[in-house]
Amino acid sequence: MPQTSFRQPSVLPGFGLTFGFTTFFLSAIVLIPLAALVLMAASMQWSEFLRVVLSARALGSYRLSFGASLLAASINLVFGFIIAWTLVRYEFPGRKVIDALIDMPFALPTAVSGIALTTVFAQNGLLGHYLSLLGIQVAYTWIGVTIALTLIGMPFMVRTLQPAISEVQRELEDAAETLGAGRLYVFRRIILPTVLPAMLTGFTLAFARAVGEYGSVIFIAGNLPMKTEITPLLIVIHLQEFDYHGAAALGFVMLVISFAVLLTINVLHGWGRRHLVATAH
Amino acid sequence: MSITLDQVTKRYQGSPVVNDVSLDIGDGEFFVLLGPSGSGKSTLLRAVAGLTGVDHGRIALHGRDVTHLAARRRGVGLVFQNYALFRHMSVADNIEFALRVRRMRAGARRARRKELLRLVALEGMDDRLPAQLSGGQQQRVAVARALAHKPEVLLLDEPFGALDAKIREELRRTIRQVQRELGITTVLVTHDQEEAFALADRIGVMNYGRLLEMGRPDDLYARPATRFVATFLGAANLLLARQTHRGICFGSDPVLTRGGDGAQSAREHEVVAVLRPEEIELGASRDSLRSVYMAHGSVEEILFSGALERMRVRLGDGITDAHVMRADNGADSAYLEVTRTQHEQRVFPLSPGQEVAIGVRRLHVLPTPLSSFTACGADAADAQAIGRQPFLTELAARMKTRVATRIEPALGNLDGDGGDGAEFGGAAVISAARAAAHGGAAQCAAWLMRRGAEEVFVLPEEIPAPRRVLIHWVDETARRATLAVSASLLRHLSAEAVYIGILPDDGAVDAQRPLGVRALLDARSEAQAMHGLEMRTELRFGDVAAELARRLGESPDQLLILGISDIDELTRFAPLFAVPGRALLIVYQPAGAASRRP
Repeated sequence: MPQTSFRQPSVLPGFGLTFGFTTFFLSAIVLIPLAALVLMAASMQWSEFLRVVLSARALGSYRLSFGASLLAASINLVFGFIIAWTLVRYEFPGRKVIDALIDMPFALPTAVSGIALTTVFAQNGLLGHYLSLLGIQVAYTWIGVTIALTLIGMPFMVRTLQPAISEVQRELEDAAETLGAGRLYVFRRIILPTVLPAMLTGFTLAFARAVGEYGSVIFIAGNLPMKTEITPLLIVIHLQEFDYHGAAALGFVMLVISFAVLLTINVLHGWGRRHLVATAH
Repeated sequence: MSITLDQVTKRYQGSPVVNDVSLDIGDGEFFVLLGPSGSGKSTLLRAVAGLTGVDHGRIALHGRDVTHLAARRRGVGLVFQNYALFRHMSVADNIEFALRVRRMRAGARRARRKELLRLVALEGMDDRLPAQLSGGQQQRVAVARALAHKPEVLLLDEPFGALDAKIREELRRTIRQVQRELGITTVLVTHDQEEAFALADRIGVMNYGRLLEMGRPDDLYARPATRFVATFLGAANLLLARQTHRGICFGSDPVLTRGGDGAQSAREHEVVAVLRPEEIELGASRDSLRSVYMAHGSVEEILFSGALERMRVRLGDGITDAHVMRADNGADSAYLEVTRTQHEQRVFPLSPGQEVAIGVRRLHVLPTPLSSFTACGADAADAQAIGRQPFLTELAARMKTRVATRIEPALGNLDGDGGDGAEFGGAAVISAARAAAHGGAAQCAAWLMRRGAEEVFVLPEEIPAPRRVLIHWVDETARRATLAVSASLLRHLSAEAVYIGILPDDGAVDAQRPLGVRALLDARSEAQAMHGLEMRTELRFGDVAAELARRLGESPDQLLILGISDIDELTRFAPLFAVPGRALLIVYQPAGAASRRP
């Protein structure tokens, strides 16, 4: 009977109510504020807009914000995979503790992690001292920014990968091994294709989080214009000077770039899935 | 031989999951490893495939030792219960996986794939994804994939477990057909005896990590050697019977007049009889039976199950519940399970409550020396306490046997004659602690043996589950009996068997060593050939009692089986009884006496 397909049994009340609520909620907390931002930016003079968003200081901040975020997400792609793999595949004493520690960057106020990182990586800090002996300065450089963003993005990567890795049945590896495949072959042809979608999702989340990060970075960045100044900080500086339009313009640019990057990753995601299925062997 | 396993042992956290398994599988043979879950059969299969390492022993494929070879170099095909297909690959890519790994050219790959798809009747399915196939089809793909690289051995790990009955049957036929067509040596693991019967050239039954018995399906069914095989392969009523000079008796009259080779034994003793439900005849009266009358009974319950009628018959008339051993049926177990064909039903229709005469068409006597246990104490409280010892009750439950109690007021009393003179049913059991009040365990054991007990189990109040059973016999007279009892006991324990050979330490140790080693090897091969018991061996030098006591004292999870032929010898073994918290099983086999043990 055709009617039955409209009435899918569910714990929550019907489709009409839930859809209405979804639209309202999204509008109130996402769409309307974003629209306000776009409107504010749109009310500027074109030349004024370009002057703000293309200033050397702004361009420098984009480079740092997006560059460091991509780098941090890439680092997480590798190390997050190793951490998730270890937690899923091995039983060892303290596994539960380490598993709980993964969530710490979620819970910690970002300013706290920022201050902690600065203390450790400053020239007289626990690790910074030895690194500076090697000639590597972490705090108050782009390296410090990247480390802070890696820390912030790590739980997104690990938590997204864990369920995907536990989906890779051990039997699949066993089967491949009895068929004659070596370890590297098994990893490339069996494990990677299975966890790749989750890796891309984790990468996206970690990247998005890093772009928006403010609290932990400003302590370790040093905030030198053109060098270690991230875009969110530049926005705050504009706000402190009561330059609301300038802040909105920069915010608009971040919105556009972020959206473009996320869209690209999603397209890659879909393409990769089709491509892998079609040619995997 | 295609597959040769030699004393393969795999331990998990110290306890053996595969325990000293030795096995030869011939070229082109279809061998089925049958056992309940947790019996170690899958672990053994994985060890053959190379996915699990072994802690001890040797694995050879076609004469080539592969014990330490990686799975990918062993040239086996493995099929898993959950198919383990690569979900992101098409059927074609799945099947060609092993060929691509071996860098076979595309044309040759395609030809091989077509051939395999024809073999498993999946032509034209090349481009499907596993998710687009039914469970049965997925498993066919898995079989084709496992055969792609022309392995010498095909291993199947519960391949039909996840399929429903009809598809299971169909796939079973396909696999048998493929196996015949290719003539490939195949090992299949299952817990389903019906499947084993349908497929196997030979079946090996595993329990507690040990390979209990091996043989052709019909042989194993008709003449099992162990309780476990008797009850696991089809339904069986296990009964305690008496072997007398007239034959096998339940009540006063013999049911079976030729009672195997033990029938000539002068002494009466208890045996375990297997009575298959279909070998029981029911009749209106004793005279209407065409088979040998066993007892009267009343029909308790009737279940109709298609071709057969299954019923439970409550025993009466001289045969009490003490004879029925199926302890897993619960406490009230004086029932026989009976099945009747449609024909039998029409000739003699039955309804619940009806009185019937029970006849036996065929009876099989198990060659096991440990039929049951009798807890012996000086008073009722003692005997009952011993009967409740946790290890003993667990062992009795695993052996599906009973623990009787027996009161011997004069236990251990050297002056009194005592004892009611009745036969001992199975092994006598005494408590180490309670025996102290009666002259000590050694004296009590000797006392019981003088009154007819052939095995005496000395148990402490509580012991951990034994992981190692030490075996020693004082002289060669006791060897056969000791090995028979050891084999019977070890079938029900997840423990390894170690034979301890001891030579006197008279300063010429090196000269004696070859002699001692030869004796060990003799003992080992006899255990293997005569009793199907795999054991490790150790050679020691020194005083027998002191060395055994030292070895036994090394760890608490050990049990010692000691064979003697002279009761007075027991006084020599006082140091053994002094090791606290250890279980001892003393096997007594006097020289010259006919043994009731197989």
